[in-house]
Amino acid sequence: MATPAFTFTPSTFQKLHPAEFFRRFTTEGVRPDGRLLDAFRPTTVHHGVISTANSSAMVRIGGTTVVCGVKAEVAEPKLDAPDQGYLVPNVELSPMCSSKFRPGPPSEQAQAVSEAINRVLKESKVLDLKDLCIEEGKAVWVLYVDAVCVAYDGNIFDAALAAIMAALKNVRIRKPTYQEGTIKVSGGSTATDENSFTLNLARAPLSATFAIFDTTLTILADPNVTEESISDGQISITLDETGLLCGVTKIGAASCSQSVMRDCVQSAKKRTLQLRAIMSQQ
Amino acid sequence: MSRLDRTRTSAHQLRPFFSSQNLLNRADGSAQFDFGESSVMCSVVGPAEVKLRDEKLDKATIEVVVRPLVGLPGIKDKAREQAIRETLEPLILSGLHPRTGIQIVIQTMKDDGSILATAFNATILALLDAGIPLKSILGAVTCIVDAETNQILLDPTTQELANAKSTHTFVFDNKSSITSDSKQEDKEAVEVATLYSDSTGLFSEEEYFECAQICYKAVQAVHGFIRTAVQKKLEKEQQQIHS
Repeated sequence: MATPAFTFTPSTFQKLHPAEFFRRFTTEGVRPDGRLLDAFRPTTVHHGVISTANSSAMVRIGGTTVVCGVKAEVAEPKLDAPDQGYLVPNVELSPMCSSKFRPGPPSEQAQAVSEAINRVLKESKVLDLKDLCIEEGKAVWVLYVDAVCVAYDGNIFDAALAAIMAALKNVRIRKPTYQEGTIKVSGGSTATDENSFTLNLARAPLSATFAIFDTTLTILADPNVTEESISDGQISITLDETGLLCGVTKIGAASCSQSVMRDCVQSAKKRTLQLRAIMSQQ
Repeated sequence: MSRLDRTRTSAHQLRPFFSSQNLLNRADGSAQFDFGESSVMCSVVGPAEVKLRDEKLDKATIEVVVRPLVGLPGIKDKAREQAIRETLEPLILSGLHPRTGIQIVIQTMKDDGSILATAFNATILALLDAGIPLKSILGAVTCIVDAETNQILLDPTTQELANAKSTHTFVFDNKSSITSDSKQEDKEAVEVATLYSDSTGLFSEEEYFECAQICYKAVQAVHGFIRTAVQKKLEKEQQQIHS
């Protein structure tokens, strides 16, 4: 007598063997959500979503939504750079955006993404920090750049960096006035070209992230949360408007050849061009 | 063509290596690795008990803790923890020790640049010292593109890092060298396979791939050094057993 074969509904099979379920799709060149392996999810960018901030932006990449607000405050400069202001970027991943984040101190992922963005902003020299100086050694502008994830569906790095760059492009800071030795920044009337200044960004780096799946090292562009959980590694490529690289990261999974990295760079170039078009449209 | 680091004459010269193994008597494995004046110590405890919530049914749970030279750990150290853990996940044969934990603690002892690469090398030596089963070893090295001369300098010191236009850290395993041997007839650039790559700053695609090539050649020396270090340790242990 023939033994009965086990059959599962697709959703059951996905829960029991997530990687195998995924492999059935990738061998055909697609993913369960219908995308091709090198396709990025639909992206939208909205500016000025927070009226009380110096600048803000909201970026949606598929199901991942990040809102970024920039607040400028006056502070004492750091001791080793008395003529420079500074940026304090922070990416927040709270239980609000996904049940995989627990309440409490920032998770390792949030800290790692914050650090990655901090390095891109600092080492690609996005901003000349001397522009943020008010009075050398006494007062400088510090920009608190907070990127809060409100919905998490994978690829937080791309969404957070895009939101931060979109917000930084439109920062308007009130010019301070000096009264009897103290610095006053008026909050009253609307910011105009006379009483405020905008930031002069040297470049606007944007990124494209890819997941590395399986022993075949299949590259999946813009992974969603399910794809991230079954992938072994990630490749992130950050480029500025001129096509110069501002960051390349390959982490996790087995060794990847140069040709894989080259393909990712090419794909990233196309994606960042597309992203810049979206950002300038809104 | 002189570097800011006067002890070296060539752009492609690494600082002298130094390593020491089995230094800590309370850890299963420990090692210290130095790139010149940069020194990192690593301790490995495992396979050991792991908290129930961190337990994995089919693999060992790898935990990495990075402690900086001074002060409390910050986001930079958390990012390094993630980098080292994710890089070691495919190398450690964690399936041989399910429902256990392997804890790796990395402490910077002296900082003169290239700390991440030094940490990677110290970690692999400590894992070998602890006898954790591995698929292959790894070797790491950092290089920069100098802002003034546009030269690629290997294994930069803190002073050289301050003048860098871009900084690149590469980690290679010792399996990709097997495929390169078969391409000896092909005098074109060897297809290098990177285990971990982290580059920041401003650089072109060509600079990135050239840095990868140069670092790949330098890492062969690191692999050789690791092999020699473990060999010497085993010879010394053999002598102690027989004496």
